[in-house]
This record gives sequence, C-alpha cells and structure tokens, in this order.
Amino acid sequence: MSRLEVYSPEGLRLDGRRWNELRRFQCSINTHANAADGSSYLEQGNNKIITLISGPQEPKLRSQMNVNRATLAITVNITKFSKMERSKSSHKNERRVLEMQTSLARTFEKNVMLHLYPRTSIDVQVHVLQQDGGLMGSLINGITLALIDAGIAMYDYISGVTVGLYDTTPLLDLNSLEENAMSSVTLGVVGKSEKLSLLLVEDKVPLDRLESVLAIGIAGSHRIRELMDEELRKHGKKRLQNASS
Amino acid sequence: MSIRRKRLSDGLTVTQKVFVRSRNGGATKIVREHYLRSDIPCFSKACLECVKIVVPNAQNELPKFALSESPMELTPEIGKHYVVLDANIILQAIDVLENPDCFFDVIIPQIVLDEVRNKSYPVYVRLRTLCRDSDHLKRFVVFHNEFSENTYVEREKDESINDRNDRAIRKTCQWYTEHLKSQGIKIVFVTNDKANRQLANNEGIIAKSLVEYVECLPNADEIKDTLPNLELPVNQDKDQEARAEFKYPEYYSTSRVMGGLKSGVLYQGAIQISEYNFLEGSVSLPNFSKPVLIVGQKNLNRAFNGDQVVVELLPQKEWKAPSSVAIDSEHFDVNDNPDNDEDDNESEIVSDKQRRLLAQDAIQAQKSSRIQPTAKVVSITRRSWRQYVGQIAVNSIDLQNGGTQNVFVILMDKCLPRVRIRTRRSKELLNKRIVIAIDSWPDTYKYPLGHFVRDLGDIESSQAETEALLLEHDVEYRPFSKRVLECLPSEGNNWKAPESLSDPQAIAKDPLLSSRRDLRDKLICSIDPPGCVDIDDALHAKRLPNGNWEVGVHIADVTHFVKPGTPLDAEGASRGTSVYLVDKRIDMLPMLLGTDLCSLKPYVDRFAFSVLWELDENADIVNVDFTKSVIKSREAFSYEQAQLRIDDKNQTDELTEGMRALLKLSIKLKQKRLDAGALNLASPEVKVHMDSETSDPGEVEIKKLLATNSLVEEFMLLANISVARKIYDAFPQTAMLRRHAAPPATNFETLNEMLQLRKGMSISLESSKALADSLDRCIDPKDPYFNTLVRIMSTRCMMAAQYFFSGAYSYSDYRHYGLAVDIYTHFTSPIRRYCDVVAHRQLAAAIGYEPLDLSHRDKNKMEMICRNINKRHRNAQFAGRASIEYYVGQVMKNNESVESGYVIRVFHNGIVVLVPKFGVEGLIRLENLTDDVQSAEFHEDQFKLTFKHTSSGETKDLYIFDKVSVQVKSILDPVTSKRKAQLLLI
Repeated sequence: MSRLEVYSPEGLRLDGRRWNELRRFQCSINTHANAADGSSYLEQGNNKIITLISGPQEPKLRSQMNVNRATLAITVNITKFSKMERSKSSHKNERRVLEMQTSLARTFEKNVMLHLYPRTSIDVQVHVLQQDGGLMGSLINGITLALIDAGIAMYDYISGVTVGLYDTTPLLDLNSLEENAMSSVTLGVVGKSEKLSLLLVEDKVPLDRLESVLAIGIAGSHRIRELMDEELRKHGKKRLQNASS
Repeated sequence: MSIRRKRLSDGLTVTQKVFVRSRNGGATKIVREHYLRSDIPCFSKACLECVKIVVPNAQNELPKFALSESPMELTPEIGKHYVVLDANIILQAIDVLENPDCFFDVIIPQIVLDEVRNKSYPVYVRLRTLCRDSDHLKRFVVFHNEFSENTYVEREKDESINDRNDRAIRKTCQWYTEHLKSQGIKIVFVTNDKANRQLANNEGIIAKSLVEYVECLPNADEIKDTLPNLELPVNQDKDQEARAEFKYPEYYSTSRVMGGLKSGVLYQGAIQISEYNFLEGSVSLPNFSKPVLIVGQKNLNRAFNGDQVVVELLPQKEWKAPSSVAIDSEHFDVNDNPDNDEDDNESEIVSDKQRRLLAQDAIQAQKSSRIQPTAKVVSITRRSWRQYVGQIAVNSIDLQNGGTQNVFVILMDKCLPRVRIRTRRSKELLNKRIVIAIDSWPDTYKYPLGHFVRDLGDIESSQAETEALLLEHDVEYRPFSKRVLECLPSEGNNWKAPESLSDPQAIAKDPLLSSRRDLRDKLICSIDPPGCVDIDDALHAKRLPNGNWEVGVHIADVTHFVKPGTPLDAEGASRGTSVYLVDKRIDMLPMLLGTDLCSLKPYVDRFAFSVLWELDENADIVNVDFTKSVIKSREAFSYEQAQLRIDDKNQTDELTEGMRALLKLSIKLKQKRLDAGALNLASPEVKVHMDSETSDPGEVEIKKLLATNSLVEEFMLLANISVARKIYDAFPQTAMLRRHAAPPATNFETLNEMLQLRKGMSISLESSKALADSLDRCIDPKDPYFNTLVRIMSTRCMMAAQYFFSGAYSYSDYRHYGLAVDIYTHFTSPIRRYCDVVAHRQLAAAIGYEPLDLSHRDKNKMEMICRNINKRHRNAQFAGRASIEYYVGQVMKNNESVESGYVIRVFHNGIVVLVPKFGVEGLIRLENLTDDVQSAEFHEDQFKLTFKHTSSGETKDLYIFDKVSVQVKSILDPVTSKRKAQLLLI
C-alpha cells in the first residue's frame, strides 16, 4: 500500500484529482416517494447511499416518547455487497456502526428543530449500497437531503466531508485508498458558517497542521452545500411546475 | 468491465468497474474512479499554451517547466528533440540515464513510472530523484498521461493490458509531437520492445532502441560501454545450450513456491555467504535453532550474498557440518575463460576439484556430530543486486584483441562470484578500480552478466581506493546538494547566539528563544580526541551549597538548525551517520553545522541541549533536569591535556576543581556499572598515524585509554540513560531507543568448547554479570594478552546492538546487555548520528519546548528511520574498518617484520592468525605451511592441525589459541590486485 504514489510531486492524487478537489457529487431527493416521508439518493464518488425518513410519527414504543421533543433515531445499514469483497456479516451490531449512528444522531439533534414535534419519533434509515472512503461525510449529506425532503424543520444544511493529511498537504474528500494511507478528519459544517456540528478525529493529526486541514474541509463542505442547494432548488422548481400545470 | 464517461464542471470522469475472481472462487469487486483533466502541462519552456492552464499546488507554487527550449540537436533526421522513455529502458539502464553526459530533456509518461514502481521500487526512487534534482542539468519530467484528457486511452475489446499501456505511451508521444510541432521540437521514443517500435514507426513517431539512440549521440563510444549486457547473439546462444554440460537448476514457478511456503515445505530467508568459503551459504530460518547450510554452486543456484531466497531442505543423508575449508572466489577457477563459458577441459578439472572438496567435507561431516541440515535454493524472491566495485581479471583479457570482448570482473567483496562484462576498453581499464552493475544470470551461464558503469581510478591510488570503499559500503559521499545547503542559516559562519535571551529582536526571529536557559556563567569545558573539530559534548560540575554536585552535560543543539521536513533533515536521515575513515570524514550534516555552528567550540556562545543532574557523593542521581540552553565553553581539551591538568597539583582554579570532581564521580559511576554487570569487551582496534605533510600513512598504534576517556564516556552514558527514560515516559510507543540483546547460548558453543579443551576454562552465559566475571577469570598467567584475545573472540559472538522505537518490543526487551541497563538511547552526538537528532526532538517535545514532528510520532515512519540508521551504522563501521585495513596494508608495505600472533581459527586447509600489533588477521594456507599437503591432518574435535614444517621438516601440531611467530608483509594479490597482509609462519 505504501508503495502507491498517493500524492505525486506533480500534485496529482491516485485518481487524478488535485489536493483541493471534491469527487463527483450527484444527488436527488424524493426518490422513494411512496416508501417514505422523505428520501434521497446520493453519489459522492463511488459512495452510493439511499436515505429514507419516516416521521414525524407516533413512536412504536411508548417508552421512546418524549413529551418535550421528537426522538431522532438513526439506523445505518451497511450492505454486505458495499465493499470490495462480499462480507459475511451484516454490519448491524458492529461497534463501528453503532458509533457512527450515535455520532450522526448527535450531529443532527442540535440542528433539527425537534421541539416542534413533541411526542413523535423521526426514524432515519440509511442504506449504504457502495462505499469508497469518506463514508461519514456522505452519510451526513444524505441525511440532510432526506430531512429536507421530509419537510422537517432545520436551522440550516449540514454538509460533511473527509479531509486527510498527507505529509504536509491536506487532501480533500478522500477515497478508500487514500483513507488507508493517511490520517484523516471528518467534518460536519453548518450551512455557510464555519460552525462545526461534527468533528471526528480518529487518527493522530499534528496540532500545527490541523488549522489548514479544517480550512480546506470547511471550504469543501461549503461547496457541497452549494451543490445540494442547487439540486434542491431544481427539484423545487420542477415540483412547482408540476403542481401548477 | 464497464466504463462510463461523464462530463463534470471541472473535468471528465471515467468510472471503471472491474470484477476479479478471487482465489476462493468468490468475486472481488474493484471500483475505482479516474478523473481526466485538461490542466496538465507539457513542462516545456518552449510551449506558449501550457503556461495558461497550470494551477498552483497546496503550497501555492506553480509547477516548474523543466524541459529546455533549445534541447540537444542530433542527426538531421532527429534534430532538436525530447526523449520519451519506455519502462524496459528505465529498468535495464537506469545507470545510463543517471550518466551526466547523456539523456537530457526526458519525458517519463506516468504509465511508465507506474510500471517501474511495480517492478522495482529502488529504481523508481532513483528515477524520482532524477526528476526532482535535475532541473538544470538533466531535465527529467513526469507527464501524467493517464490523467490528461488529451492522452488517455481506453482499453479496447480483447486488448491486453500491456498492449493498451504501450498504446498509451505512443499516444503520449503523438500528442507531444503535435503539441510541440510549431516550436520545431521533435519527440524520440526510446524502447527496446521491437513490436512497439514497429507500431510507433507506423504511427509516424520516431522510435529507436537504446543502442540505436546512443549511437546517434556525439559521445556514443564512451556511453556504449556502459549499456547493459543484454543483447546476446541469438545463434551463439543455441549452440552454447547444446554443449552446456553446466546448467543451473531451473527456479520453481511462482505458484509452486507460494504453495510450498504455505504448506511449510519451502522456507524463505536472506542468504548469507560464508566469509571464508564462497561456495557455502547459510540461511537463518525462524523455525530452526541453527542456520540451514547451503553448500555448492548448484545448491546455491545463482544466489548472491544478501538475496531473499526460497530454499528446500535436502534429504538427511546430505546433511553436513559447515565446511572447514577456506575458499576464495578469487583463487578458485582462476583459469575460466570468459568467452566460452564452459570450456570442456577446464570445467572438468574444476568440477573434479570441487567434487574432491565436497567429498572431503562429507567425510568430515560423518565424523563430526555437528551435522547441520542442508538445503538448496529453489527460487530468489528479491535480488540484493546493487553496483559493485571490482577490477578486471588480468588473465581473462586477450591483449591482442582490440575490439569488444568478454572479460571477467573480480569483485572486492570476496563472497561474490566474478561477473562477466563486455567491453571494448578492456586494455584501458586494466589495473583500474571499476564500478559495474549486474544485469542478469541466465541458468546456462556459470557467472552473472553485467556491464561497466564507470571507472574510479588506478588501483592503489588512495582516492580510488577510498571511493571504492565508500561505494562498496553504500555510503553517500557526494557533496551536499544545493537544496540541502539552502536550509542552512543565511548568516553562515557569522551566525552568533544572541547576546541576551530577552532581546525582542532576537525573539522575533526565534520565538522559542525565551524558553532557553542562560548557562553562560557555568564553567564548561569539552574533552575530545586531539584534533577533533565536531565537538558534540561539553561538561561542567559545581558543588552545591548542600554538599551535592551539580553536573551538566551539554550537547550541541543540532535540532535548532535541522528542522524536520526540510531537505537538510531528509539528507541527514538518509545518511544516518558520519563515516570516519583514516584520511577522510564523510559528514552526516554539512560542514558549516558540524564543525562550526553546532560544534561547542571554546570561547564562543553556542546553543546547547543540557542535561543537569544533582548527584550526591556516591554519584547517585538526586534530581535530573533537561533544558535547551546557551553555553560558553571555557576550554577545549584533548584527553591528554585534560589528564595533565587534573594531575597538575598546582592548578586549583574552579575549572580544574570541577574536572577533578567529574573524574571522581565518573570512577564511582563506572564501578557501579561494572557491579551491575556491564561488559568490558575488546576489539583489536588500532589507529593509523598519518604523516601530516605527505599524508602518507606513518605508523600503526593500538588505541590507548586514559582516565579522562572514561570520564567523558561515563557521563555520556548517564545522559543517554536519563534521556532514554524521559522520552520513553513521554512517548511510550515511538521513543527512539537502543537495545542490545543477550547473546544466544549457541553463539558461544564453539568458543566454549575451544576454551574448555585447550585451557580448561569456560564462559558463563547466565547473565551479563556472570559473563563479565567469567571473562575476568580467563587469564593465562604466562600470557597477559590471552585475556584480551578471549574478549575479542567473545565480542564476535555477541549480538549487535540496534536502534529501535519503543513500540517495537516490550519493556523487558529494551535491555542493553553490554551496558547492563534496562533502557538506553543515543543522545550525545547529534552532529554525527541521526538517532541522536530524533532523540533531541523527542526530548524537546517531552519538556514542552516545541511540538514533536509527526514523523517521530508515527510507528511506521519510526520503523523506517530505525531500519535505515541501523543499516547505515553497520555500513559505517565496516567502511571504517576496511579503511584501516587498507592503510595498515600500506604501512606494512614499508616495514616488513616478524610479530607474534594467535591462532583463532583452524581449518582443514589453513589457519587464521590474528596479529594484535596491527589488528590484522589473515589466513595462512596449508600450502604455505608445508610442502607435503597430503600428510597434514586436521582434527576438528581438538581444533588441531598437524603438518610437517617446511623448513625443518619436523612434524608440528598447531592448536587454537597457540601463540605463533609470523612474518607480516603486505603483498599485492596478483589475481585481485588487492593489497593485504600476508602472514607466514616462522
């Protein structure tokens, strides 16, 4: 692995991107109109993710009910065929997945106006059809889109991206090869601000480099927010047209 | 495989989906994205278009356009041109590419670079270095053809990967040709692949083979000799095969090797050829307690010393003991003819001779109980081939023949076989040290094929010999590059430590200045060997009011100037250590730092890293403190001067008192260390005095030790230990440490057997304390040197100390056996060792002076650093020893003498004698001991050789450890033109 030229002296990465370039980003919302209250399909590079939201709805169990605000439950389903080799286990109760779910729930609890929907539950189901690095960021983007499609009140977009540090160069939006080769940081940025609702640092990153890493991550997240916003407005226009005709 | 192309806002993307069937029958899905871009420039200064499209990198630098606007002009057909290379050229002829007299303005397509990297990583590194460092001279660039919109090619249906890649290279050539047409620059595609050349010509690209291209060059004749030895005449090949009696066994196929390794039938390891017998090698395997032997040319099967090989065990009846015969490649088969590899007559004689030796061995093996399993090499996983130094064997040259001929080159390393090269300059190169590279070793050839690289100069000229020695030990001796020198402080020799540590101007330049401690009031002095210019360390001692002693060790603050991540740091890390030769020093860091800015010279202010202890009267540590500091050394002593000053009763100033205190404390420290079981080992170290005017070697002297030597040594050890504890506390996973493993009992088996048999003594191995005590007991009252001899021999049974990072072993394995401490590092010589540089940085981080660079906190990077410095350290030691050996030879040239020596090994056909006075050891062959070789008898179990003495004719028994008188003279070996000590028994 170490023998790959992860970042060439000419400034190109394994897949031909430069240090500050995002992967191909495509998204659409309301993809499963009949199956869920809100849905989205997202492709970020080779990450392919379906997000379904049901709710706000009456909780299935009484015990889950909160009189003051809605309960946000996030389930991440990483399919067996999402990686290079078909995995034997469904990653259901894996620690890594449970951790992901918790940190996702924490990311969104602050940003969704849960107090508007007391005594309800909002269930988010994420299906990862294919993954290729920087999964957390893509999950955040998918959930943001689906929540908007479901019409659930939020303060702002949350857009996520992974940034790695290769020697001294920060690299934006890692794919899985790059993710294995270097330490990385995942950010969830609120809207156009520089507020972070998620900062996930699982590897060692030198403190003096962190600033440049965060800077490029925030810039990348803003770009993703723009791309999502564009798509949403296009979708909105189309729906308005359909409604009026 | 499906490919989709989609246009994005910023470039194109192709997604490739590949399904590969994996071994267990399941499918593995590999999906990779591949972005195509339009902003990849051609890197030509002549181009007007590409300047517009380039984008800066993360450091906001624009790419440099390296290719010259007026490249070299050749024959009218080619004209001004750039060269595009194919992977086969780079892999075969990287030496030629590095030649400063040919190959300018070269474009390496990315696809070629990838192939080179997959095939050979070292070649890739060399190529990358060429691209990086040759902006002005050679002008090599990498063109990312796979990522450029203009040159990307899709794989067609039924097209093999190789065909597609060849097409991609041709496409790149085509694009460049079109692109630079208006500038009048042509592209020459150089490849040795005939089919590819044909296709390229059809597509209108100028394609040449390496030989064709070199022939176009103005200096073709010189360069031609350095081309790899590949193009064998086809017809000759055939009949050679037909008459080849000699043929090496074929290597097993990869799948068979993989299967064998998995099922445990085959084993993998690095082969080590015996120092005394080039037809015998051994492979250490993890599941065997003793190394497995590999005996004979066919079993060795073309393996070189140091190769990674796969071996198969031989049946039990072929197992034997290590041979007791000494054979040098130089003197063996001297009469082979390089042109016809297997001349019937001679090869028969040779193989007979071999068989005889083997048979003798077999008999020995049956007698002795020390039978070891033997094996044969069935595959070579990684070659250790590098460039070798040697000289042409005189008797392989046909002096009448003026043209190209095959000659043998005998390598300096006597564990290696001779190499066959083709050259037209054989007469010219005779009696020169030359560098050669090895190309291949087909199974029908008895000797490997190589080619000439360059010539170092006349044999026995000190410059050529020194360079040869450095090359052989892989020591980087070229001057520091411009990029490295640019990292030095701009003030140069005028750099000064700031007057005051609170000076705002100085703090503005160096914000860390305020955390330095001002120790300029301490009475510090340095004690070093005479003539030392790179002073790493200085000391001081002062009595504290409470009666204890404040002792400070001050080490040059190299890391103030060598910041991590700079080219200077990278250079230091790759050199790893300074190398000390008799007449020359190869620095790890540039002179300016080593001998001036970092060197703790007297009377000037210098930055230092200080370790300050509070020691009580018993030299126990009460307190320890580490700090970066500014010091001013009061005096630089040599060991002798310091000794004189201490001994001089009239001197009662504070500095001398401090030195006396240091001496007193050091004696206590040493005693404590010895009580704990530190070893006092010995090596036959000598020093060569050089005549200062003629720089001819003068005389040889055994190094002597003064009390002040051990004064400095004790405090350096103490500092190293204290620092090791501190950095281990701060960085439990990545602290840079040094360990010395306990020697396995098997290493001492033979030595103990010899001692037991001859002297009735033994060496205990229970602990280092027991070993030290038992060494002390090995005294022959009649011979005071005997004890040193035993120490020298047991040193050779020890493990080598090694650098490691703390995460690599558990705490109990950190032990330094020789010093008898639980943890140890190197901290005190950062000017000449890279380990110390790392330790300095880690200590600086541990005391909160500055944050630690990532590379010293990362296990993988530390692993790489440790591996490199261990290797460099070893090479530096070997190089130093070889240099002494060479000069001792030169000294003896002038004065032949009779000296006393000791027998330290007994072979079937000779003895090895060590002469303490010169620190040399040499083999005395049986032929030189007696006229009647047949009557000699060798008793392996008694370590005895019986023979009839040449002159007197009486029968003589020689045992191991015997003291003998030998005549020492230096002779020039007629075959190898290597000067060495020849010993003759009197």
